[in-house]
Amino acid sequence: MIKNTKCECGHQNPVGTVLCEACGKPQFEEKTENSGELLEMRYDGVARRSQRANPNFIDKVWNFFSSVKVAVYLIIITLVGAMLGTVFTQETMFVTINPETYYKTKYGTIGHIYYKLGLSDTFNSWWFILLLVMIGASLVICSLDRVLPLYRALSKQKIRKHMQFLTRQRVVYQGPIHENSAAWIERAVTPLKKKGYRVHTEGGALLAEKQRFSRWGPYVIHIGLIVFLLAVLFRGLPGLHMDEHYWFPEGEITPIPDTHFYLKNEKFTVEYYTEDEMSEDFKDQGKVVPKLFETKAVLYQCVARCDDPLAEPELKEVHRHNIQVNDPLNYKGFQAYQFSFENISELRSVQPTLVDKETGEVYGKFKLTMNDPDTEYQVGPYKLVLKDKYMDFGLDEQKRPISKSGEPNAPAFLFTITGPGLPEDGGQYIYFPYLQQQQYYGQEQLNQRLGGTNNKLELDLAAMTDVDIIEYNSYLNIRVDRVMPFVWTGLGIVMIGLIMGFYWQHRRIWLRVDDGIVTLGGHTTKNWFGMRREVSSFLQGMGIEVDEKSLDNGGNRS
Amino acid sequence: MNLLEVSKQAFVIAFLLYCVAFCFYVVTITGKTWKNRDPKQHERKWGKISFVTTLLGLLSHLVYVATRWAWSGHIPVSNMYEFMTFLSLMIIVAFTIVYLIYRKELVGLFALPLAIVVMAYAAVFPRDVQPLIPSLRSIWLYIHVTLAAAGDAFFAVGFIAGLMCLLRTIDFKGTDKSARRQKLWLEITFYSIIIVVGFIVSVFAFRASGYEAVFTQSAEATEQSNGTKEVYNLPPIVAPYESQLESADSFLGMSKPLVEVPSWFKGVNAGRKSNTIVWALITGTLLYGVLRLVLRKPLSEALAPALKGMDADDLDEISYRAIAIGFPVFTLGALVFAMIWAQQAWGRFWGWDPKEVWALITWLFYSVYLHLRLSRGFHGRKASWLAVLGFLVVMFTLVGVNLIIAGLHSYAGTD
Repeated sequence: MIKNTKCECGHQNPVGTVLCEACGKPQFEEKTENSGELLEMRYDGVARRSQRANPNFIDKVWNFFSSVKVAVYLIIITLVGAMLGTVFTQETMFVTINPETYYKTKYGTIGHIYYKLGLSDTFNSWWFILLLVMIGASLVICSLDRVLPLYRALSKQKIRKHMQFLTRQRVVYQGPIHENSAAWIERAVTPLKKKGYRVHTEGGALLAEKQRFSRWGPYVIHIGLIVFLLAVLFRGLPGLHMDEHYWFPEGEITPIPDTHFYLKNEKFTVEYYTEDEMSEDFKDQGKVVPKLFETKAVLYQCVARCDDPLAEPELKEVHRHNIQVNDPLNYKGFQAYQFSFENISELRSVQPTLVDKETGEVYGKFKLTMNDPDTEYQVGPYKLVLKDKYMDFGLDEQKRPISKSGEPNAPAFLFTITGPGLPEDGGQYIYFPYLQQQQYYGQEQLNQRLGGTNNKLELDLAAMTDVDIIEYNSYLNIRVDRVMPFVWTGLGIVMIGLIMGFYWQHRRIWLRVDDGIVTLGGHTTKNWFGMRREVSSFLQGMGIEVDEKSLDNGGNRS
Repeated sequence: MNLLEVSKQAFVIAFLLYCVAFCFYVVTITGKTWKNRDPKQHERKWGKISFVTTLLGLLSHLVYVATRWAWSGHIPVSNMYEFMTFLSLMIIVAFTIVYLIYRKELVGLFALPLAIVVMAYAAVFPRDVQPLIPSLRSIWLYIHVTLAAAGDAFFAVGFIAGLMCLLRTIDFKGTDKSARRQKLWLEITFYSIIIVVGFIVSVFAFRASGYEAVFTQSAEATEQSNGTKEVYNLPPIVAPYESQLESADSFLGMSKPLVEVPSWFKGVNAGRKSNTIVWALITGTLLYGVLRLVLRKPLSEALAPALKGMDADDLDEISYRAIAIGFPVFTLGALVFAMIWAQQAWGRFWGWDPKEVWALITWLFYSVYLHLRLSRGFHGRKASWLAVLGFLVVMFTLVGVNLIIAGLHSYAGTD
């Protein structure tokens, strides 16, 4: 059946229209049932795209996502899913433990079921992400479905509305006036303008409207949320995001993998609160509280010979920053955060002195760096050639020296020394920079067994100034996040929308005078209390005393 | 007397003033039916007195914040005691704003007790000034925490108005299924509030008497290299799992725990926490029983007549309005600024930490509320129930997460 969608005022409305777009008369209501009820004023009663007759497949999808009810269900499901995701610790919170066994041993059978259901990684699960995408779709479609018709309806409002439209608003007043209708309407303009309304008149009718922009608040919020969600989804694309943790020993220039950046930790500082800074109550607990973690960082960028592993890269200092918690280094989106630290007290270099054991003669000293030692040293008449280096000294089953690991736990250096009083092809000498390790591993016995230097020479540390120690190792979180500006923009838009929509209300007052009777209808999107107060104060100014509460038309309200 | 002492005194004075203001509100409402007076005039006069007393309490509360801030050098919102105290302050601020808009004295009758309970609950936590750890040393501590508390405070006022709307609209004489169910749930709501009061009462009673019991737990039970000690400040009904009683003061001749915590209930101080819950239930139930005996009817039914003079639609609107004011504030404080801070401190704006997730859950919950309000017929009782439930979500986010789940925000809470 083809529905006649023409209103009695002569306006042709689209299918699904609740209130005539022109005069506001309710369309196609059973006269007997609803004739006294309040009008459905949502979206000003316009037809939405989703109310199209004979929907095809795309229309059906559109209709599904355009429903506020569906949106509410989506939010509730997401909410419950998120709740479940906080029941037990999520997999992402620990790195080293195997989740397969973790949940079973820690939480028992319930934990195992939790893991099997995939709730142990709720927030990265396909269904959770799908929910977020569906909410995104709902945001777009719900908004588009409503905002365009609403915009059209609000921009072509008629001033004179159907009587029913006025008397079935939530704020209604009807009463006699004792003057000419045109004069009364004319007199009503000024007080309404004073209250901030834009006033339009037409014959014996008036429309006053203010803060229409607040009507767009919800849609602005939705746009912001879409920008935010898209930014978060695109964050996963390669190249837009990097999140790594590296150690940076004090005083070293450390390359950062997969980038052309090098970072030097010039000095790491950790400070603790002194007792003077604590309250009496707290002092008694004897707790030690850290006050400051700081890495004095210098950022270098490689400018030449970057990808050649054999060549020494050429570095240029680009940025300097004292990285603290809450104060990261940021160089054009390349960021370094203070994450952790370690007190290692490790040798960087020593300057041993070559001494003649018999005569006590000092030949001189040379600098031996642990990480990257030179291969040859000339000390007085002697030449030392580094033959082998063991970072973590140990002996294998055949009693041959090996390095147990790459960690600098027990560095040892094997030299071939040539010079006066030594065999032609030189003598071998092993050296442990840590004094206590010389004892522990028996440096002297080892050298006697090697026998090459005839027990004539010795490497000795003359003074503490000859030792250079790496005190701290700073653990920094290196991050690149190219989408952050979009995230913040999205959130900014959301906030603007929230303020528009929640702290202002779109208010309209319709007036018409028929045969000495004035009829007033008022509508607001929120805060009816304030609306009634405003209308009552307006009427008072017009010489009509009316109780605020009596303006309330009661009935169903949204 | 140093600033910290001033601050402690101001806290107590604010608390007492709120209690007095509450009594005045009781006089404002009940006095209307007294003889020899004009009800309207009485309400206006006593309403003013009550409101001014509330403001004096607020002033003293602000003195507490200012002096503690001045002494410690940072805004007092860095641990559970300071936060809950601040929340009660914000509840009073939110109430003041709502009162100035709507001028309904009755809201004070319900908002003040809530602020008082929250404030008393704050005092359960250790009250010492703690130095700020590096991750808290940020301007965002000031902005994020205070705004989040402000948003939550408006939700609290929404809850109060919602609860009042329920008291006003539920038919206590009704016998059909829906009426009986609503009565039951409303009574459960009040019972839960009394349980919280019971918890506070039992903690303070035993704290005043200086009660202490000490347990040692074996190494296997705690999964730590050496056994740990657990100190109880409430008489032990529930002992830690596989523990030895070291010493216990005697209480009513009881010097031994009755049961042991089951092994599956794990976590830090599981024994003490469950013991506290048992005590809260006992004291709360006792309190509730006494009240029932005195009133001879359900609490909700006894309170309902006080709301006779109030329009249900107004209460519904106040509830909606408070939530609508709070929602943007909450979004900004608890989510947007939280993300900015998280980005600055931890390098990621969102990490699905339990506290973050629960802030999101709160936000989603209230966005459901706001969307539902668009639909026809969703107001009055239905909306009020959501406002009540919403506050439960808020409180779980603020307190429950710290006590039960504990993630990155665990430093904000203690035992």
